[in-house]
Amino acid sequence: MSETDHSDTPEGGDPIVAGEYVLGVLDASERSAVAQRIEREPAFASEVASWDERLGALADEVKPVTPPEATWSRIEAAIAAPAPSPTLGSLWQNLFFWRIVGIASSGLATACLIALAYLGTVAAPDRAPLLATLGQQGGQPGFVAAIGSGGSLVIVPASLLTANQKSMELWLIPTGTQARPRSLGLIAPSQPVRITVPPNLVPFVTPDASLAVSLEEPGGSRTGAPSNDIVAVGKLTNL
Amino acid sequence: MDAIAANRSQLAAALARVAAGDRAALRIVYQDTSAKLFGVCLRILNDRGEAEDVLQDVYVTVWRKAGSFDPARASPITWLVAIARNRAIDRLRSSAVSRRSEPIESAEDVRDDAPAALDLVVAAEQRERLKTCLGELEERHSAVIRSAFLDGVTYEQLAQRMDVPLGTMKSWIRRGLMKLRTCLER
Repeated sequence: MSETDHSDTPEGGDPIVAGEYVLGVLDASERSAVAQRIEREPAFASEVASWDERLGALADEVKPVTPPEATWSRIEAAIAAPAPSPTLGSLWQNLFFWRIVGIASSGLATACLIALAYLGTVAAPDRAPLLATLGQQGGQPGFVAAIGSGGSLVIVPASLLTANQKSMELWLIPTGTQARPRSLGLIAPSQPVRITVPPNLVPFVTPDASLAVSLEEPGGSRTGAPSNDIVAVGKLTNL
Repeated sequence: MDAIAANRSQLAAALARVAAGDRAALRIVYQDTSAKLFGVCLRILNDRGEAEDVLQDVYVTVWRKAGSFDPARASPITWLVAIARNRAIDRLRSSAVSRRSEPIESAEDVRDDAPAALDLVVAAEQRERLKTCLGELEERHSAVIRSAFLDGVTYEQLAQRMDVPLGTMKSWIRRGLMKLRTCLER
């Protein structure tokens, strides 16, 4: 090979193009051409991912710099607009639906209906969903949750709850020795929320495991554990 | 499980929760990684305002794309660093602002600069292997590869910095990449 290589299609082909992209030496138009290939060609995308892994450790040399406080607020604002699932949203807002359920149902039955109706559209039919009624202090039902196989979870408020500037966080409390509560994310006090249980927690979704809702500082628990302010709790049971 | 593996799996678990739409988990990812990623953006862009904009963009991207993170194939921090670098480099390429042109640090500077334990999340073994393989390259080849990665500069800018023809710079980098790939896969 000569010391000077003027060709623009590098010897070494795709792996080298992918390496050049990851290294960052391409100009704007070359980068956008490569970015399009990443979108379209899985094999090429995986070549790029391999280079990300190979060269990633070079970033160790970069000294961390704490970003200004305001940056997080801007991120929070940018992701604030909740995107409720269209299916769920439209069901929730459907007046006809409400008229039917309004005829003869308590809040609890309504919540059950919604949770199951909705879960029916997302859960695999091969295994019955697990259901939990999360009771408040005093025994009033606070939420109804249903979890389908595969970890799709729907939680529906069964009575009027307020969070008073706080965030409501949902927790899975496994049975047995693994009983440390695991966060399933934030939920809304006044509308149904769909959550996908992370794959590593799906094995803990068993009958007799519990779900709990806690009140947390806005944004959720910082400690990874629920606060003492548990507003509702209930066991998962087979339907 | 050692501290690095625990750290890595914690971050991977947080990303899985982000994929499920959990804002609290994004906050955790941000707390754990934003200083690193801000450092990466700042190094490439050399402008705090631009770097802040890109950082915001990075975490909004993480929020939307966490579902595509595959813990079996990528380590969480390299996945995040890749997003930050790509965003920062794209921003740099799109801006008309001309970049500083600094000489590439000598290998001596590189050694002095090596921070021992800045980042626990990238496994020490991975770091050591890269270092060994970079060490097997011609010194000027490894120096330009390192500089390209950290500063996000183009072939053309690298050629100017090193005062060599563009074709020569391409040849250095491509040869370096080929050797590096072979070495890392041994």
